Amino acid sequence: MSRRILNVVINGERHELLIEPHWTLLQVLRGQIGMMGTKENCLEAECGVCTVLLEGKAVNSCILLAGQVEGRAITTIEGLGDPEHLHPLQAAFIEHGAVQCGYCIPGMILSAKSFLDENPGRQPTRQEIREALAGTLCRCTGYGKIVDAVAAAAQRMAGKEPTP
Amino acid sequence: MSARNFRVAGQRLPRMDGIGKVTGKHVYAADFTLAGMLFGKILRSTRAHALIRRLDTSRAAAMPGVRAVITAADIPAVRFGQAVRDTTVFALDRVLFMGHPIAAVAAVSLEIAVQALAAIDVDYEDLPAVFDMEAALKSAVLVHPEWATYKALPIIARSGNISGRARIKAGDVEAAFAGAHRVYEHRFTTALQHPGYTEPRAAVADWDANGNVTVWTGTQLPFDTQNTLAEILDLPSSRVRVIVPGIGGGFGGKLRIGVEHFAALLARKTARPVRVITTSEEELTHSYPRQATVVTLKTGVDRDGHLLARQGRIVLDCGAYAGSGPATAAIALQVLAGPYKTAALALESFAVYTNKGTSGSFRGPAGPMANFAVESQMDMIAADLGLDPLEIRLRNIVHEGDRGPSGEVLRAVSIEECLRRAAAAIGWDDRKPAPGRGKGIACGWWMTTGGSSGVYVKINPDGSATLVSGAVEIGTGAITGASQILAEELSLDLADISVTGVDTQAAPYDYGAQGSRTAFSVGNACLAAAADLRRQMFAIAAAQLDAPVEAMVLRDKHVVAGDKSISIAEVARISRLSGGGLIAHGTAISPSPAYDPGRLENHPLPAWNTPSFHAHAVDLSVDPDTGTVDIHRYVVAQDVGFAINPTYIEGQIEGGVAQGIGQALSEEIVYQDGKVMNANLTDYKMPTALDVPDIESILVECASVAGPYGAKGVGEPPCIEPPAAIANAIAAATGFWLPSLPMTAEKIARELRARRK
Amino acid sequence: MSFDLHRPSSLAEAVALAGLFGPGARFIAGGTDVVIQINRGKIAPAHLIDISLLPGLAGIAATAEGYAIGPLTTYRTIERHAAFQGPLSALVEAAAVVGGHQVRNIATVGGNIVNASPAADFVPPLLTLDAVLDIAGPQGDRTVALRDFITGPGKTSLGAGELVTAIRFARLAANSATAFFKEGRRKAMEISVVCVAASLTLDASGTRCVSARLAVGAAGPTALRPERAEASLAGQAAGLTSFRDAGRLAAEASSPISDVRASADHRRHLVAVLVERALTRCAERIAGARP
Repeated sequence: MSRRILNVVINGERHELLIEPHWTLLQVLRGQIGMMGTKENCLEAECGVCTVLLEGKAVNSCILLAGQVEGRAITTIEGLGDPEHLHPLQAAFIEHGAVQCGYCIPGMILSAKSFLDENPGRQPTRQEIREALAGTLCRCTGYGKIVDAVAAAAQRMAGKEPTP
Repeated sequence: MSARNFRVAGQRLPRMDGIGKVTGKHVYAADFTLAGMLFGKILRSTRAHALIRRLDTSRAAAMPGVRAVITAADIPAVRFGQAVRDTTVFALDRVLFMGHPIAAVAAVSLEIAVQALAAIDVDYEDLPAVFDMEAALKSAVLVHPEWATYKALPIIARSGNISGRARIKAGDVEAAFAGAHRVYEHRFTTALQHPGYTEPRAAVADWDANGNVTVWTGTQLPFDTQNTLAEILDLPSSRVRVIVPGIGGGFGGKLRIGVEHFAALLARKTARPVRVITTSEEELTHSYPRQATVVTLKTGVDRDGHLLARQGRIVLDCGAYAGSGPATAAIALQVLAGPYKTAALALESFAVYTNKGTSGSFRGPAGPMANFAVESQMDMIAADLGLDPLEIRLRNIVHEGDRGPSGEVLRAVSIEECLRRAAAAIGWDDRKPAPGRGKGIACGWWMTTGGSSGVYVKINPDGSATLVSGAVEIGTGAITGASQILAEELSLDLADISVTGVDTQAAPYDYGAQGSRTAFSVGNACLAAAADLRRQMFAIAAAQLDAPVEAMVLRDKHVVAGDKSISIAEVARISRLSGGGLIAHGTAISPSPAYDPGRLENHPLPAWNTPSFHAHAVDLSVDPDTGTVDIHRYVVAQDVGFAINPTYIEGQIEGGVAQGIGQALSEEIVYQDGKVMNANLTDYKMPTALDVPDIESILVECASVAGPYGAKGVGEPPCIEPPAAIANAIAAATGFWLPSLPMTAEKIARELRARRK
Repeated sequence: MSFDLHRPSSLAEAVALAGLFGPGARFIAGGTDVVIQINRGKIAPAHLIDISLLPGLAGIAATAEGYAIGPLTTYRTIERHAAFQGPLSALVEAAAVVGGHQVRNIATVGGNIVNASPAADFVPPLLTLDAVLDIAGPQGDRTVALRDFITGPGKTSLGAGELVTAIRFARLAANSATAFFKEGRRKAMEISVVCVAASLTLDASGTRCVSARLAVGAAGPTALRPERAEASLAGQAAGLTSFRDAGRLAAEASSPISDVRASADHRRHLVAVLVERALTRCAERIAGARP
């Protein structure tokens, strides 16, 4: 089966990559580019640790064929904020004790971002946040502090609370 | 030192590794790669119990891109294991369970490695198998016919399929039953539960030119892994170096060797770095899940509900190898006694081999299973006697100075406060607020596991401190907590502390991230190191300040003597010029309490160090038709001794309860005729964000003698009581107890219908 | 596991490619079923034809008779579609319980239908709406009723090279509502143990059933319409008695299996319970008593 060239924009940077048709986006990110912030686990869209944003929407990169993102824009956790300029979600996760082992956290943060960006400025309920995060399993936290963090970040992103 | 005066300890400070984790920069074992590395895969048995008649790897070995294929014939003949040295890397002439490793392949890509597995030819001859743990107790089918030739810890009593039997005995149970007002007997079953860490088990191994191997792995126990690898590789342990880059959860499932040995053996054969990582299917067929158990409990009480005697038996299914089963089963005996005064006890545990995957010691090993039995039965007794469930517990709980089941004297006992505060918070006065709705309570106790910890602490010339520890930060925040203690003792800020990665070659020994002990033991070692550093700094400062050491204290990053002071940074610089710098080796070992050996038989963990006490209360509804359980509120009152960092203690409680809710209601590795029927995360059901309510934590602080600032072990207890608390709340809502975990909606619905007829 | 991935730019090109490659080809859109099936070794196509970006196949349109849903419409789009928040809310309720947000952001309604899983959550609500599918193929276009389209577990009447191009259904009559209920072991990320959709029309007084349509998923080789249960409601007083009878008849019509998720017995029981609940919810909605 023939290799092909993939053109994709990842975190604002254009990449031209030689891929096998059956490679998933997760394989390309981790195995080919070496961006390890996107995690791997179940590989069947059950756990959510591989979540990335495709044109701003959260998707499971473990079952997304890389060839299908030709010409499209991907955001990974590395593209969200850096240690000096944390995204409000990243800052809130730290402040609210929402991070334990941390393996699910990139996926959790990107799932939350996708959800909050659907209705900018609107403060979601805790139940709505839980629904939005249900596709990402966390075994450490019991989710409560993650919900706290997303709720706080939503307020901050809506400009209702200044970023400290 | 009073908690009120602390600047750093006891504060809700953000964890030290948080920024790396939210930005994707934190490197986990599964992320670790080396240039030119190969990919390893394991061929696993498709039979539950069979002779290997033919094993032919020649086709696989000849495939392009395959660099090595190894089987038992290619490696040292070694049996390893904890209590019993019964385990081999690969099946020898016989496979003992479906999923049993038979061969391993290293190839230039994962895909080629997978294809090569399919090219290995195996002919099996099926053997009679034993799957049921109670049947295995008496079965003529032996999982290990050669069991008597295995080496084992001397304390372990073995026989046939029994890999360990232990007992606790006190008083005369039969006489007490004879004189009891009522005697209750119940049987409970619990299911296999996967630890559910989100990072698969992963390791990369690489051999250097001198014949030393380095393994990067997500293990909870780097030193134990180092030793086991050395045995398997037939090397002195100093030639095995284990580095833990980062670990995506473990919960007891990453204590024992998982994939490291396959990586190391394949790397030795190929002279290339090799990476091995598990799939979900491998996790659910061959990992270290919480063992399934059968618990029988016979309890005699007087007219007022006082416990007079208890006879208990736990049978625990180890699977094909003993793993941690013998110790886990024995630990259950203390849980079967509970935090209760009972004059007569006859408790017995059996760890049993079956032809299934090996089990392990998932968080609070045996705790939830035994507690489920004890605390369900307490409520059944209360109901039968017309007593309030809280009241029957208050009548029986231990108090300060009472004796525990091993005859040890109990100190810092707080179970009454935990029960009363949990009950008050859940609104115990209104226990059945609506039809189909009920509240349940359960309580328990647990140990702070001992074992020693060492740390090196170095003071840098900028006045900061570096903590070198062999303890793995598994996610609990324990290393942040220990660093808070260190900062407190050195008058530094948490930001002044840095932590090096875990490397068995460089770090002092640590017993490992297990048993609720990391913050406790590493914290104590930090206290010791800080005391040593103060002595060193005061000696230098004495010459500089011309002041007596006795007058000195550390304050605000300075050595202060009256109105004279010198900064810690300056002292560190002076030490560099004169004495090779400031460094201390702090150590800690938990004291073992005195106990009565006459009460114990073959018990590897005879008496609990620094026990903690806890009570859980839950308010839930049961759908009268579908049996679905909806948890409205969940309250935990847990004695943590001293809350080193309340935020992360709450995190431990909330996460532990979520795992307990999973065990209670949905999680189960289902075996049928030796085959796992749900070896994927579609059908293995861990709670999602919608399945767990907001959990309310009450931190009780009844200071221990042995812990840093009075702290007690925190990590394991939160997952112990949820199954029982939920069972009792379901009973309050429906009128019946389900004696079988998980308490699925289907089981509840079936019982509801049976009772309606 | 290897294949060629093709990315046609038009429907005609997609159909032509499918005709060219024959049975070795599969269409792929969101890929949330196809990629997992390939990885599990259940299917091994030599060619995947990516239709995910074909123009004109995504989105929801109001038509003269009702609605046309493009097969590439994602669940998240359905879930948030304003026109489905009223009487057609079963569509929202079913779309909202398919996987997590990550799946719903990319998985398509068309994919869920042609995948023909007996447990597909979105199929029962469409069955109660008597949805029809427009299909394009090498032999030309055709239209087929959804209930005739799915023929068995994983089986449909789709011919080689054929592609669903629209899912259409009529508006509900006055005094109508729909509802969807699902049971699983968890509250999210579940493959249904049983799911049930109902569409109920009451008379002007809101007390008597004019007609009812029911569909049950995961309780037989395909999602089924329990016709005796539906017929039993016509002309009956809307209420617990008639709804419970319908539930019992629906349970009798179902033929569930026992597996690791649930026993057949429990599934049958749930069919009765959920049919009664779905009908009750419809009646409450018609009365304006519930959203």
